[in-house]
Amino acid sequence: MDIEIISPEEIIFKGNAKSVKLPGESGGFEILNNHAAIVSNLKKGVIIVKDENNSEHKFEINSGVVEMKTNTISILAN
Amino acid sequence: MPNLKEIKSRITSVKSTIQITSAMKMVSAAKLKKAQDAIIQLRPYSNKLTEIMSSVSSASEDSSKNKYSEVREVSKILLVPITSNRGLCGGFNANIIKKTIEIEKELNSRSELTILSIGKKSSEFFKKNKYNVHSTHDDVFQDVNYEDVSKIAELILNDFANEKFDKVILVYNQFKNAATQIVMQEDFLPLNKTQSENSQEAVDYIYEPGKDEILNELIPKSLKTQLFKAILDSNASEHGARMTAMHKATDNATELKNELTLSYNKARQAAITGEILEIVGGAEALNG
Repeated sequence: MDIEIISPEEIIFKGNAKSVKLPGESGGFEILNNHAAIVSNLKKGVIIVKDENNSEHKFEINSGVVEMKTNTISILAN
Repeated sequence: MPNLKEIKSRITSVKSTIQITSAMKMVSAAKLKKAQDAIIQLRPYSNKLTEIMSSVSSASEDSSKNKYSEVREVSKILLVPITSNRGLCGGFNANIIKKTIEIEKELNSRSELTILSIGKKSSEFFKKNKYNVHSTHDDVFQDVNYEDVSKIAELILNDFANEKFDKVILVYNQFKNAATQIVMQEDFLPLNKTQSENSQEAVDYIYEPGKDEILNELIPKSLKTQLFKAILDSNASEHGARMTAMHKATDNATELKNELTLSYNKARQAAITGEILEIVGGAEALNG
């Protein structure tokens, strides 16, 4: 699935991923391939993106919103 | 005929003016490029934010009950003029101040006016003229970043939510291109509901924790982004305006230099002619 992490100042990450771990407002959760459409608030924490080679990319955020739609994840982070 | 030395020193001073103004023009051009890039960088974020917001609020029945979209009878108004910290940029700052005063006259006597100024030039003006200044924020332009701007936005949002103000208006230069800035008067709060265009294909989202909670997160974010965009626009406009102003100054100074060089040469010619006449006259007096 495609993922992009966008902040007001730059595009932090753009690429393909196997899974994404997110700091949800009511607890952390993980989005896998072909997850249903979802919109959720994120709190301060770390986003962990696992790409096809199983290597992890970590991004710290203060707050944010995640949207998953047609197998594309967009994360608005600040 | 002015004497040669006088003209010569004026030419030197005009030359150094040209050097300064053309250097400033170059610096502004480089900064303009950076400021424009920042505007472009914001675009994907603000587009996505608007997209999510419109799909969430179209799914939510009563999106109007948010505290930032509450329309009250207007008696206390906050004006937010955004100017630069530095001068030498043509009518850039004067236009904003003029527009702010214009708005004030329109509203006069009916409502109480407070100023929250961003940028040293407007802060100085409104303080000096004894306006009711809420606070000044001049540091943002040293290094424009989202975090600083969002603090200012939070301040405004809180005051609006606590009914300290019933309406907030931004006045800033919108960036059109390097040579053109448009003075914009933009209603910041209360939030007007321009959404609810149901052109979006309705996606059946799972909302976590809930639609209202998400909207409550999204609305301040979008307002912060709006203020951030206004400041980025103003920043780019400032450099554009300075570049144009410095370009004109360089042109004028070059013209002046050419005129002075011409009169310098004329004066030199006249002096030489005079000297020759004296020599010839002297020689003839000896012969005669």
